[in-house]
Amino acid sequence: MSTKKSLPVTAYPLWLASPLALAMLLFFITPLLMLGVVSFYSDAAMTQWGSVANWAKTLDGFGLTVLLDTLWLGVQVTALSLVLGFALAWSFLRMPARLQPLIIFIVMLPLLTSVVVRTFAWIVILGRQGIVNNFLMDLGLIEAPLKLLYTRLGLVVTLANVQLPLMVLPLITALQRIDMNLSDASASLGASEWQTFKKITVPLALPGVIAGCLLTFSAAITAFISQSLIGGGQMLFMPMYLYQQVSALSNFPFAAAISLTFLATVILCVSLFNMLGRLSRGYANG
Amino acid sequence: MTSRRQLLQASLTLGALQLFPGMSHAQAKRLVFATFTGSWEEAHRAVLVPAFKKATNNAEIILDPMLSVDQIAKVTAARNNPPIDVMLHDPGPALTAIDQGLVENYPVATSANYKDLIAEAQEETGPAIFFQVVGLTYNPDKIKTPPTSWKDLWKPEYKGRAGITNLNSTLGTGFLVEIAKMFGGSESNIEPGFKALNDLKPNLAAVAANPGALATLFQQGQVDISPGNFNAIQILKARGVPVEFVIPKEGAIAFKTTIHIVKNSPNRELAVALIEAAMSPDVQTKLMQSPYLVVPTNSKVKMDGEIAKVLAKDQADMKKRFVFQDWKKINEQRAQWIERFNREIKL
Repeated sequence: MSTKKSLPVTAYPLWLASPLALAMLLFFITPLLMLGVVSFYSDAAMTQWGSVANWAKTLDGFGLTVLLDTLWLGVQVTALSLVLGFALAWSFLRMPARLQPLIIFIVMLPLLTSVVVRTFAWIVILGRQGIVNNFLMDLGLIEAPLKLLYTRLGLVVTLANVQLPLMVLPLITALQRIDMNLSDASASLGASEWQTFKKITVPLALPGVIAGCLLTFSAAITAFISQSLIGGGQMLFMPMYLYQQVSALSNFPFAAAISLTFLATVILCVSLFNMLGRLSRGYANG
Repeated sequence: MTSRRQLLQASLTLGALQLFPGMSHAQAKRLVFATFTGSWEEAHRAVLVPAFKKATNNAEIILDPMLSVDQIAKVTAARNNPPIDVMLHDPGPALTAIDQGLVENYPVATSANYKDLIAEAQEETGPAIFFQVVGLTYNPDKIKTPPTSWKDLWKPEYKGRAGITNLNSTLGTGFLVEIAKMFGGSESNIEPGFKALNDLKPNLAAVAANPGALATLFQQGQVDISPGNFNAIQILKARGVPVEFVIPKEGAIAFKTTIHIVKNSPNRELAVALIEAAMSPDVQTKLMQSPYLVVPTNSKVKMDGEIAKVLAKDQADMKKRFVFQDWKKINEQRAQWIERFNREIKL
């Protein structure tokens, strides 16, 4: 047996990452830097450089409202997904093993269809003559169709459904890893089911919760198609704001400022979630 | 004498060319025409491309359908060696492309068909090869008396049943200008238009993000009346959706769709040949017929079919019923209008 000191098997030389790093530098970092340069032009035709006017406009009262409203939408969608997703993941682990693949398939199904198709399905569900309205009218609960499409509520529900797999899958993984004996132990020590859930299950599932929230949140705030088809043209979120400047006005400098602001905000949120994730892992393992 | 090795090499090369037919043509000239997506592409592929091939002794042409903004972005990114030879634009983007120096003037003096275009279609920067027409769209199952005026949108009986689009689209912007005019404003005085939009709020079931989304809302019964694009409505109608198109008594909003030679295009001659074909009465007559229903700009085309029935029976009638807007003025202010719409039109 050799006593020569070798690298641990899990450590790989860093240079193996260089092709990827080069590709990222060329096709991701460089365009981003160019975007940064473009954002300092003061006019749409890009002749006057060296102005912060676009940045000021992005972060003025109105721009800030749009940004905060977009983040608030993300929070609403994430909260709803978490409630639905947690319940689903919880019951998934308690159902007969032969049903589980079926449930996983159903959960994954939305991921296998195009986001446009999923969104149009929701138009059919929420429309004035849609499934929800027809059902409520048949039951005699409402006289005239409710307005569900093109409302905030409709948008939040749709996004929560569309992004649900992103929440459920990490949750299932996290809940699966919890040793069932812990709940039994907790119960045998006299804790009620609610106490066990609060003190044992939730803290141990926290890494999964945070991973799910992170994915759902970032997917919800950037979901341009669902936002514009279900929310409509009078709701303005960052993706639509950006698209509007590019497509209707060809104002690339302002669009660049909007997109970089949005990107920075998303990165900030993601790092915040990541920090929480690290803390929670420490909590769960420690 | 040819050695066996040479023979083998030659046959391998030929075999490879057989496998990748694109390679052998890579050096040949071919024209890239950025048309619009969907039904426009279908119509151009079926009618314009064969006419172009006939006129140019089978020159190669590629239809690369994309949005106006993508056309402009791609040409701007490579001004000296543009990836597109011929662009197609709505009035707003056309002016942007012209202002940014992306297009070359059309050689009108030597053109056979240009002089036959109706006056509104004659633009040296790029002639209009068809018009897009915006009128009132309604669901005949729900609305028994057809609307006759833009003002009908404000009728109390349509509470929560009307739809519009936001200003991102040519349709939405054109509609705002039209209602401003109706209430005493103009391209340079949009105030009455915004006031009218605010008054319309109780009737609005939807502010769609784009005209396509608006059209599908008829299918869901979400919207029963809205401004609509003639061609988009014909597509819905053909699929059995209950929709009808009428020209309001104030006139239909007409947008020129212009075709442009891209500056520095290496295929200038072919580009001219394509545009000539697109202006010719022959092509425009074929495109006017069902299922394409493209509104002609050549005065020699005899109107007939659905277009004659619904839009205009001849060119004189067209002049009476179509309203053209001043897009130069509109473009100057569009950014402010969009900003104002963003702030004010919340449902």
